[in-house]
Amino acid sequence: MDFKHRIVAITLRSGLLACALALSAGTFATAADTVPAAQPDPMPKVDTSAQPAAGAQAEAPAAAPAGDASAAPPAADAPASDFKTLDQEVQGMKKDVIDLNKDLFVLQEELLFPANTQVAVYVSMDVGTFFALDSVTLKIDNKEVKNYLYTAREAQALLKGGVQEIYLGNLKVGKHELVAFFTGKGPVERDYKRGATITFEKGVGAKYLELKITDRVTKHQPEFKIKDWE
Amino acid sequence: MRAILLACGLTMSAVLATPAPSAVPTLVGKPAPDFVLKSTDGRNLRLSEYRGQVVLINFWARWAGDSRQEMPALDKINTTYSRAGLVVLGVSVDEDARRSGEFAQSMKLGYPILFDTTAAIGRDYLLQKLPVTILVDRSGVVRYSSAGYKRGDDRAYLDQIRELLRE
Repeated sequence: MDFKHRIVAITLRSGLLACALALSAGTFATAADTVPAAQPDPMPKVDTSAQPAAGAQAEAPAAAPAGDASAAPPAADAPASDFKTLDQEVQGMKKDVIDLNKDLFVLQEELLFPANTQVAVYVSMDVGTFFALDSVTLKIDNKEVKNYLYTAREAQALLKGGVQEIYLGNLKVGKHELVAFFTGKGPVERDYKRGATITFEKGVGAKYLELKITDRVTKHQPEFKIKDWE
Repeated sequence: MRAILLACGLTMSAVLATPAPSAVPTLVGKPAPDFVLKSTDGRNLRLSEYRGQVVLINFWARWAGDSRQEMPALDKINTTYSRAGLVVLGVSVDEDARRSGEFAQSMKLGYPILFDTTAAIGRDYLLQKLPVTILVDRSGVVRYSSAGYKRGDDRAYLDQIRELLRE
């Protein structure tokens, strides 16, 4: 499915969801008004002050004006199963909202960083006996695109096998140069700054590069590599 | 007639002379902008890693005289309330990190001092006057902001801190 179709689909879904939420808010406004005070609110997060839509009033006969004494008895006598059903509906809508949010996030990522121009750079660290990471500076085509300072927790997370997406951006098709500067503490607690360079060809698809920090045991020195994930 | 004209003129001049109530931009009620900065001891500290604790951020500079008065008061607050879950972070907006580090050392402070040498974080926090003290609650929302310092202001900080620590 292309972007236009996805945008239309998501807009339609969000519209339907908004209508459904308005309907439920209208129904709940009346239900909440008639529920005895001692009874726990079945759905405390719903904004009962929301004005029901015109359509909602037409479709929900129980939506009589709040405070109308004649409307109170039927709602008060309403079986608990009605509330259960309503609660289930609201839970379903909440799930829809979460799904919609996820779709929007994916769509935003795809729109901002389309696959044909996307470049992602990751950082990983292995062992780390000879190097304590402090910061990474990234330059693409001689332009600084990222300068990241690592806290002790973040460095620990990398040592435990975590992989960090340090940069996500767009690049034109063609040849590009990535330079990464690593600063930190090297062997014997000495300040250490090293660089690594890679020239890569950006094709039509997305490009993934990995900055790898490993230990070279034979030389007792850290090693910095940039891996091009084809 | 002349009296009426004079009255009108005076009223007009009074209206024009009164400064228009300009809304001072504030971050109160908004999420505190996250930052990571280098501290005096070489560690990098990130604000979001203190989520769950009450954080007092104090922006200061060597050249701001009020900062020198405020810092000992903040140090006392830090000593008393750090065990209760308060984190105090001093952020120097001086361009010269070395000199502000030396200054902070001479003050013998018990809380970390961070260096915002480019003032980028200061801009995020809408600094207009120094020092600025900001209180961030456990969920990372700015709950209190105060610009400038005069003797006794720390009592207001304490009231706010106690309230936030109780939440």
